Amino acid sequence: MSAGRIAPLLIAAGLTVGCGQARRSEPLMGPLALQSDAEQGRTTFMKYCQPCHPGGEAGLGPSLNDKALPTFLKKFQVRQGIGSMPSFSEAEISDQQLDDIMAYLKALRGHEGEPGG
Amino acid sequence: MPTKPRISWRRGLLAFVVLAFVIGGCYWMRRSKGGGMTEFEGARPIRPQDIALPDGYAIEAIATGLTFPTGVAFDEAGGIYVVESGYSYGEVTDTPRLLRVEPGGGTRVIASGGGNGPWNGVAGHEGAFYVAEGGAFEGGRILRVTPDGQIVAIADSLPSMGDHHTNGPVVGQDGWIYFGQGTATNSAVVGEDNASFGWLERHPDFHDTPCRDVTLTGVNFESTDPLNGGETTTGAFSPFGTPTTEGQVVRGRVPCNGAILRVRPDGGAIELVAWGLRNPFGLAFGPDARLYVTDNGYDERGSRKVFGSGDYLWRIEQGSWYGWPDFAGGRPFFDDDIRPVLARAPGNPPEPAAVFGVHSSADGFDFSRNGAFGHVGEAFVALLGDMSPPVGKVLSPVGFKVVRVDVESGVVEDFAVNEGDTNGPASWLGSGGLERPVAARFDPSGTALYVVDFGVMTMTERGPEPRKETGVLWKITRSGSR
Repeated sequence: MSAGRIAPLLIAAGLTVGCGQARRSEPLMGPLALQSDAEQGRTTFMKYCQPCHPGGEAGLGPSLNDKALPTFLKKFQVRQGIGSMPSFSEAEISDQQLDDIMAYLKALRGHEGEPGG
Repeated sequence: MPTKPRISWRRGLLAFVVLAFVIGGCYWMRRSKGGGMTEFEGARPIRPQDIALPDGYAIEAIATGLTFPTGVAFDEAGGIYVVESGYSYGEVTDTPRLLRVEPGGGTRVIASGGGNGPWNGVAGHEGAFYVAEGGAFEGGRILRVTPDGQIVAIADSLPSMGDHHTNGPVVGQDGWIYFGQGTATNSAVVGEDNASFGWLERHPDFHDTPCRDVTLTGVNFESTDPLNGGETTTGAFSPFGTPTTEGQVVRGRVPCNGAILRVRPDGGAIELVAWGLRNPFGLAFGPDARLYVTDNGYDERGSRKVFGSGDYLWRIEQGSWYGWPDFAGGRPFFDDDIRPVLARAPGNPPEPAAVFGVHSSADGFDFSRNGAFGHVGEAFVALLGDMSPPVGKVLSPVGFKVVRVDVESGVVEDFAVNEGDTNGPASWLGSGGLERPVAARFDPSGTALYVVDFGVMTMTERGPEPRKETGVLWKITRSGSR
């Protein structure tokens, strides 16, 4: 099977199969240290993404913390808005802000602090 | 030499789009997984060790067996008091009460109300307590309760017989009593959902009243008529079954719905502080001496459903309009199919100070002011948790925790959550942790955060089923600050 055929399967797996722990918040995993871009990304995330994915966990929408979806596809979904998710234009979330959100999500997903803080 | 296979990202992208549409479509087919969608029988287990806190903090249960508690307050000597609501969604009534929590966890009744709950919050001030009487049956009131149990209404006839009630209160540095008055409906149109709440049959003419004159677009909504059978048509800010016309002006008056109001401690005229809110439940003054308010956002229910609206923390500006019923979080609705009911917006809604999860029910809160507890200047907010599916679908329980909020950046962080692989109430997780936190308030020293836990409320085909005597008062302290 060629890589071109495997890629869609990997994407499907990333969309549907959880990887690791979805809950990454401070009481469970300890404080999260962020670089400045991720810090900026967190602020933007709180404004636009938090309502449906509180703390990156599932809520109205699915969890983001345990999905191994490539960054470019996440950005694609933000821009296009697919299914029940609304789209966000560059006027609402600039390219830089979108990059920062991705940096925050990456930091959140990689957060493997000590349980209980 | 074998050729290195090339990954076709264009093909991958196409596959992603197809899959996403499939999965996106599946969203609407997936069943809701709200935190109340569980079974509960018997006594509520209480196990503080089932609650996770940041390193250095500890939690203990101070009082248990409370029935629908909604607020906590303190007297000048540091005595602890809680109010029991006396009414819960699900049309369950009891006696609203102000209780003193004795050392050891027992309670003593200070005052009892009549059958006009819910008592939604309490504030102590200069030897008395101020209680927001929700007024589901006879209209809302602000009550002044003295330690000898005397009750005097300092404000009454508040438009509180609908979905949302009279809430708060909090005492300002100016000595006024500030309180919230919720809306009658989800989004200004009376519909079948209000019959499900139970009030439409009691008060068939009740509807939202704006604080200032508003001009309508004349958009009307068809629904079945649970009172008389058949179909009917209803417009905004109008009784059930009453359509509106384009350009129709609805006169505003005070008291009104979806507003922050204030009254002096000895009564008198009620003044308007801000309007265009939906259900302003929690009120607190911040370190900047500004009033902050939690606001429960729209639901996906009724004749005018709104999908995807978060809950909000607002920084209140005197006289401002906050967007209800045509804006959410300071913006027009995402969904273009939801047509505005106001021909002209009464103002430009401000940006929220913070946004909470959709259906999280952000309620009572307080600001940390003591470095010994930490996070000085941040708001600690109780999230009651979703009431899905009647309010709309969620893929996982939302709320059921206490969060802290940096009101400058809008960053919301978990503070007290239940242990487990998934977020949810203790009854959903099968644990002895938090159920439905409805208020959070620091003691006078600022070293202990008291969390009022409403107790178990499951969601069934019959609607909400709250359980009496399952409420808890929790106390959170930091090591070395007990």
